[in-house]
Amino acid sequence: MKKLDRYGYVFIAPFWIIFLIFSIYPVALTFYYSFTNYTGSGVAEVVGLANYTRLLTDSYFLEAFVNTWKIWGVNFVLQIGLALLLAMIFSDMRVKLKGLSFFRSAFFLPNLITISSVALLFGILLDWQHGSLNMMLLKLGLISEPINWLNEPTTAQLSVSLILTWMWFGHSFIVVMAGVSGISKDYYEAALIDGANRWQTFISITLPLLKPILLYIMITSLIGGLQLFDLPMLLTDGVGSPDGSLNTMVLYLYNQAFKYNNYGYAAAVAYGLFVITLLFSAIVFKGMFKNERRKPGQV
Amino acid sequence: MIGKQEQNMKLHSTNRTENGNAFAMQENARKKKRRLVKGMIYTLLIAMAVVCFIPFFMMIINATRSNEAILAGFSLMPGAALAENYAVLKDYVNIWSGFKNSLIVSVLVTVLSGYFSAMTAYGFAYYEFKGKNVLFIFMLVMMMVPGQLGLIGFYELSKTLGILDSFIPLIIPSIASPFVVFFLRQYIQTTLHPSLIEAARIDGAGEFKIFHIVAVPIMLPAIATMSIFTFIGSWNNYLMPLVLLFSPEKYTLPVLMGFLKGSQVAENLGSLYLGIAISVVPIMIAFLFLSKYIVNSISAGSVKE
Amino acid sequence: MKKIFSFLSIAALGVGLLSGCSGSGESGGSADVDLRVWSFTDELKEPITTFEEKNGVKVELTIVPIADYPAKLKPALESGVGAPDVFTGEIAFLKQWVDAGYWENLSESPYNADEIADNYVPYVFDLGKDQDGNVRALSWQTTPGGLYYKRSIAKEVLGTDDPDQIGEMLGSMDQVFDVAEKMKQKGYRMFPDEGSIRWFAQGANPQPWVNENNELMLTEEKMSFFDHAKTLRENSYTALAPEWSPSWLEAMDKPITVKEGGKETETQVFSYVLPTWGLHSVLKENVKETAGDWAVTSGPSPYFWGGTWLGVYNKSDNKELAYDFVKMMTQDDEFLTDWAKETGDVLAYNPVTDAIKEDFSDEFLGGQNNYEFFLEQAEQIKPGIVTKYDQQLDTLYGTAVQQYVDGKMSKKEAIEDFYKKVQNAYPDLTVK
Repeated sequence: MKKLDRYGYVFIAPFWIIFLIFSIYPVALTFYYSFTNYTGSGVAEVVGLANYTRLLTDSYFLEAFVNTWKIWGVNFVLQIGLALLLAMIFSDMRVKLKGLSFFRSAFFLPNLITISSVALLFGILLDWQHGSLNMMLLKLGLISEPINWLNEPTTAQLSVSLILTWMWFGHSFIVVMAGVSGISKDYYEAALIDGANRWQTFISITLPLLKPILLYIMITSLIGGLQLFDLPMLLTDGVGSPDGSLNTMVLYLYNQAFKYNNYGYAAAVAYGLFVITLLFSAIVFKGMFKNERRKPGQV
Repeated sequence: MIGKQEQNMKLHSTNRTENGNAFAMQENARKKKRRLVKGMIYTLLIAMAVVCFIPFFMMIINATRSNEAILAGFSLMPGAALAENYAVLKDYVNIWSGFKNSLIVSVLVTVLSGYFSAMTAYGFAYYEFKGKNVLFIFMLVMMMVPGQLGLIGFYELSKTLGILDSFIPLIIPSIASPFVVFFLRQYIQTTLHPSLIEAARIDGAGEFKIFHIVAVPIMLPAIATMSIFTFIGSWNNYLMPLVLLFSPEKYTLPVLMGFLKGSQVAENLGSLYLGIAISVVPIMIAFLFLSKYIVNSISAGSVKE
Repeated sequence: MKKIFSFLSIAALGVGLLSGCSGSGESGGSADVDLRVWSFTDELKEPITTFEEKNGVKVELTIVPIADYPAKLKPALESGVGAPDVFTGEIAFLKQWVDAGYWENLSESPYNADEIADNYVPYVFDLGKDQDGNVRALSWQTTPGGLYYKRSIAKEVLGTDDPDQIGEMLGSMDQVFDVAEKMKQKGYRMFPDEGSIRWFAQGANPQPWVNENNELMLTEEKMSFFDHAKTLRENSYTALAPEWSPSWLEAMDKPITVKEGGKETETQVFSYVLPTWGLHSVLKENVKETAGDWAVTSGPSPYFWGGTWLGVYNKSDNKELAYDFVKMMTQDDEFLTDWAKETGDVLAYNPVTDAIKEDFSDEFLGGQNNYEFFLEQAEQIKPGIVTKYDQQLDTLYGTAVQQYVDGKMSKKEAIEDFYKKVQNAYPDLTVK
């Protein structure tokens, strides 16, 4: 038996070889670059903590940080709200809706489309003078003046948030629905007998039992949200217009590295981003489990 | 709400004279109300489905209209400029090559990540070796690291290895997919009993044969679930190919879309819409056939751990 | 379970099918290509066809949009992977490229490019030199700017369509606004967008963005762009069609709707501020109905815009053929004569321009001799203002002005913002 156990190494070897070369080494190399003034060619000169001190006082990084949170936050609230509302409707034993699988698929559809195509599409649909959205709204008489969606910081950020919601609420709905269908019907029947109304049932049964699922959605959405790049990159000019409102952390990282050739600083930005992600994931975990005693261990 | 209705019913049932009649009316009203609510909910749901679809609808309509027509105003009627738009588009970019590149990369990524992750998961689950737990925990920690963290280093590494502007750095790293390994290990531990492996060994099967014949078939549903995620993830990947590929004929679809935006195609809205439509419609058609499966996979992926 | 297999097999089938398709397609990127050329526009398409026919070779042209061009080209040249044999450089990042050491030194033999220096407009030849005075890239064109306008509108509003007279009417920015007001009265718009006037805003004495001490220079003239742009916007002198956007191009030929102040108005755009190449690669490409109704004249101050240089990649394994292509583009009398006659592009190559300039006339411009006009303008070009920062700084500055025009920032805030962004992108520059 001992002899056979050596096969364990054989089975995990390909993974580890590739993992070391293509994951660990680049992460370490980036760490090294974050202490240099590397510009993409030539020699990397070690500059100590200079990049990190710059990062701490860099108002553009702060701006990117705030923007990323704003855009993600609005999107997340809407997305999860919609998903819960839909799940509530579909799981209601009294209404018994048909067509769940159709709607699930329909709502999920936007999620499947390449984000860059989505960005391009909305970029022209939201155009100020000639975008279809403004033309439609004008025709319907809902607005009297075309809205320059992508030229005002607030509407631009809102547009990105809404596009994200549009892309992701179907996904969240499916996941929430999966969680809901895992809840035993007995709870609901008991609630029905106790005379609980829909809202009470939702608050005291569905929501607590969905906590792990909601946590799952939140963490994955947060990690994805903090890496927001494609939409802001392609919706406007790729440097965060209008007024820096679409400057996100990863966009900033990309521009510093590949547009301005400040590789060393970009590496520091990457580590800044990493620390932030880690910090907030930890906070979410903690916050969610502060009062949780019933189900330890479940992720 | 129900509580109130029950109270009402109690009140009514004391009134003996109109009992039967009133009850029927009550029932009728309730049915009506329920139908109304249901109707409203359906309307809402359908409206939401329409919202989900309308950008695509406009995209398809506009893809058939000329630049001039699109600039002049909004319409739900298709135009007649499809061929013209395609000619302009074809002059500048080959969307189909983007499709082909994306497909090659995504399929290979999916296959490699599925196979090697199964192998790694199996190794972690059924062998006892030194450092196993340390390695596994280390892998879990690295799982939390976002891809951007190593971006600069990854780019430099690819440069050193001379594999920039090729698919290799997009495909090969998928051999190491910690999340898939993690998921598969959890799955196989609950589905494959070690006694089965023992039995196969007694029958004289080699370790790799056991893995291929016994373990893989059992893991297949989980591999399939993960494959969906891997495929979609790879298909949508924009940042990596953007950084790693330079030659337009190697661009994957997402990068090609960004390229389209800056190119002269963007000077003709009809062609631009058409380009986007070409990148989107095949996926929509594929989804039409596979939607149920994909949706179920997402459900499964999120609930099982 | 079956479905996932069918999915994968569909996918695999698709790969097979599609790769089958592209095999017969033209842009395969395979080994049978003799020469690879990278550029940021399609203007080399036809010359390449000519070159292929003349030499019996296969050339592959890769076009990368200008915004991504440096970012894509640099790693290719740096690593040598997928790199071109010949690549072009636009004036906005030319300075960066001549000193970057990717272009072959053309001052050395067998090229000996210095021997032909006298054949070129001096500034064009000089811009292709690196800091040590070695020739790295050559160009066939000179790119002085003008103002293209529609004759019919000029006649109706200004009473004449004569380029000289119109040019006099546009002698200063104040005069430009007077004309713009007249245009507005008759329901026309002077320019497509506010960015149109940025070249005039540099004034009669343009300065480089960055001086020799690495200091950012925002001159009074440059700053006046803010006020001029605001004037245009506030008085509705433009059609709100941003440069290079589909509506900007569409408005060249057709009426365009403008939505402002709660109503939609249909209008026509009077003029476009474009240099020499604007004629053949922008106007002629997008104008059908109004061809022949155009003319070109000068604005308040001379300017030049753009220009394409090309050189040989120093790690190319086919330098001879690569230089042959460069030679055809920049020194071939026969080819360049045809090119000039066909496109109206204004050449920097004296042997050809001397021969054709006198009796040149362009149908598109109602028979006007744009060649002489532009060659005169070219004499006023001051070439010392090109720096390696131009591309990014022009973009950042344009954004700052736009924010002021859109009323999102005061002029002061916008300038502060510009300084801050420049400092962030280029920590080594001294700002203010």
